[in-house]
Amino acid sequence: MSEEMYKKLAQAVIDGEADDAEALARQALDQGLDPLACITNGLTKGIQQVGELFASGEYYLPELIISADTMKVAMDILEPALAGGQEREVVGRVVIGTVEGDLHEIGKTLVGTMLSANGFQVTDIGVDKTAAEFIEAVKENNATIVGASALLTTTMLQQKKIIEALDEAGLKNQVKVMVGGAPVTQSYADQIGADGYAEDAISAVDIAYRLADAPA
Amino acid sequence: MIKLEERKASIKPIKSKLKISILDDQEISQINQNTRTVLEEIGVVFPSDKALKIFAEVGANVDFEKQTVKIAADLLDKYLATSPRNYTMAGARPDLDVHVGDGKGTYFYCSGESPRVVDFSTGERRLSVKEDIANHARIADYLPIISLMWPSASASDKGETSPLHGLEACFTNSEKHVESESVMDEVSARYAVEMAIAVSGSEEKLRERPVLSQLLCCIQPLAQDRGGIEAAMIFAEYGIPVGFMSMPTLGLTAPPYPAGALTIAMAETLSGIMLTQIINPGVGNYISVNPGIVDPRTGAYFMGSAVAQMTNVSGVQMAHSNGIPILACHSFGGSQYELGNWQAGYENLYSHLLGVMAGADMSFGPSGMYEAVSLLDHPRILFDREMLRVIDEITDGVDVNPKTLAFDMIKEMGHKGGYISHRETGKFYRTTWPKESILYDDGKPEGRKWRDPKDVAREAITWILENHKPEPMSESVKQELRQIVDRADKDDSIKREISGHK
Ligand code: B1M
Repeated sequence: MSEEMYKKLAQAVIDGEADDAEALARQALDQGLDPLACITNGLTKGIQQVGELFASGEYYLPELIISADTMKVAMDILEPALAGGQEREVVGRVVIGTVEGDLHEIGKTLVGTMLSANGFQVTDIGVDKTAAEFIEAVKENNATIVGASALLTTTMLQQKKIIEALDEAGLKNQVKVMVGGAPVTQSYADQIGADGYAEDAISAVDIAYRLADAPA
Repeated sequence: MIKLEERKASIKPIKSKLKISILDDQEISQINQNTRTVLEEIGVVFPSDKALKIFAEVGANVDFEKQTVKIAADLLDKYLATSPRNYTMAGARPDLDVHVGDGKGTYFYCSGESPRVVDFSTGERRLSVKEDIANHARIADYLPIISLMWPSASASDKGETSPLHGLEACFTNSEKHVESESVMDEVSARYAVEMAIAVSGSEEKLRERPVLSQLLCCIQPLAQDRGGIEAAMIFAEYGIPVGFMSMPTLGLTAPPYPAGALTIAMAETLSGIMLTQIINPGVGNYISVNPGIVDPRTGAYFMGSAVAQMTNVSGVQMAHSNGIPILACHSFGGSQYELGNWQAGYENLYSHLLGVMAGADMSFGPSGMYEAVSLLDHPRILFDREMLRVIDEITDGVDVNPKTLAFDMIKEMGHKGGYISHRETGKFYRTTWPKESILYDDGKPEGRKWRDPKDVAREAITWILENHKPEPMSESVKQELRQIVDRADKDDSIKREISGHK
């Protein structure tokens, strides 16, 4: 019975059927199934397949995002039910946002979505976020990676402020910082002491994997 | 090769005999109606208390908590009525003034604020600096097809005051009208106004012939930028024209359909125009609709696509139906693709051509941009210029008159042909064969071989950079500009403003 439920959960994610996913997640808990197994063998399998479909060009971005949203709906039901000490397996916990004074959100959202679809737990804090808001989100989510996006020459300086604020808060050794955006370059990233720079969403996933593997 | 000679700056619009209209009257009125319903029922977010108070005072339905303004159609139309269809964006001399809406055709911008450049000497891609802006301003000053300019790149060597350094670099290296696309806070706006007053000579002269304007992007969907809108309020107060641009990304920040995306764009831009008209009735405004799409396979942002282009050009009719001028040509006169890339060529050609044929008052023209306005390459500007040269010719249409019907010529030549030896043919070629082109270069006398236009363009840019000296600005005005920017550099409140009010 549990195998069948895992399959259904995976399929709901693949089809992007949020209502089904929600109903199935509740049903699974009612039936006393292990929430962690439902996540690992159901939802995660589904999103992995979606990732493959996207990579092969079969799925387009809207489907990828709808599936990621569907997964989140079910996750919001299953995760609180995890037994104490149980944690779903994630590659890394990412807090991502666009820096203060900057309202460009397309690239940041895309990077966040791609990271989610690749097994990272992503908290997207939105646009126009201060260094303090980044720090708060890092603490709240026990993040391992901070992603800061900046699209303006006048706001890219905020990426440095975030790194300095992490340092001041004594968090610099716990998290890795990844930066990106149109005016940002590898040399700028090096100069401000970021741990990673990605030119686009695809390479952001590679960099995030590298940062996740790197010893904290 | 284009004619390279020492000369003063001049400007030249393109007037098209050929006309296209995408929307019929009923479609225009449906979109206008939809826009007004959106403004009335959904409203636009203005995250500025100052702006909200101004809207509330004139009777708009303001929710201060949600920072949203809902506007009844008759209230909107009352304020749109004072936004002029014709006005001046001035250059340093009256013959460089752009008389928006004067019926002389489409005036071209050199767009800008590129974060990166291709270094002209080394070919290396790097972050742009102030000197790049100064160089590109001199190139734009030299080319008559450019009538107005943005700082072409961002001064990454100047940090938060990069927008003001950009203006300084343009004012001191060109006599043409300068527009800021990056002054996005009230404090910087006040410095920019001071600079414009210095260039004009007095506040009164600035109001009469504004040498500066501002382009402000609305935030999709249905919102404005706090700092940007507060800057716009300062500019409007001083009679400085303010353009509002909407960049709906179809299916991302706006509905995927052009009609819905146009509705979003019109609601955003018209609400901004209304605010500036409340502040200073009669101040110049324009609209720009710059749609994009997302590559659904990778998420990459695209400015060139048939559907986005159609949406952009439809904006011309939408703006004009509201009595507002428009700046057309989506993609900021650039393309997604690299120079030398076939797709960049065709995308650029159709986006330039359609704007002119639709009767846009202004359009992004030769800019030297690619990679979706994020990379500037100086020689590229001559490729854009080349397209406009062709467009100028095409949009002249076909002359039909007794001379061109050429009955006498046909009779004279009869069945033997050989028109090449006819005197009229000689005259025709003399006027028609493009002398001012980088494409048909006949090379050095010894060679007479086709030369790669890239080499020809490089030579021309080298010549312009080495030889073109814009009419010098008086030393005292230069000094004044320097002092203003210097003061701004030391003003910590700019940093606070850019960071927001948090
Ligand atoms: C954490 O780790 C990572 C890793 C990788 C990361 C990352 C983080 N973040 C990004 N990446 C990377 O991966 C992503 C996916 O592949 C990529 O993200 P991107 O964001 O680069 O790519 C996206 C998928 C698609 N790209 C985009 O979405 C940006 C495209 C361009 C054209 C652009 C857009 C669309 C917009 N804009 Co703006 N805009 C431009 C942009 C030019 C350009 N080509 O970048 C740029 C950035 N804008 C500019 C400007 C000036 C402005 N914009 C403004 C506004 C807007 C819109 C709101 C209209 C709109 C954004 C809509 C939205 N909701 O996000 C204003 C600022 C508003 C503000 N306060 O932020 C305004 C100031 C204009 C005005 N006068 O109002 C220029 C900046 C100049 C500079 N050097 O500072 C600009 C380069 C265009 C230009 N040349 O004029 C990579 O960079």
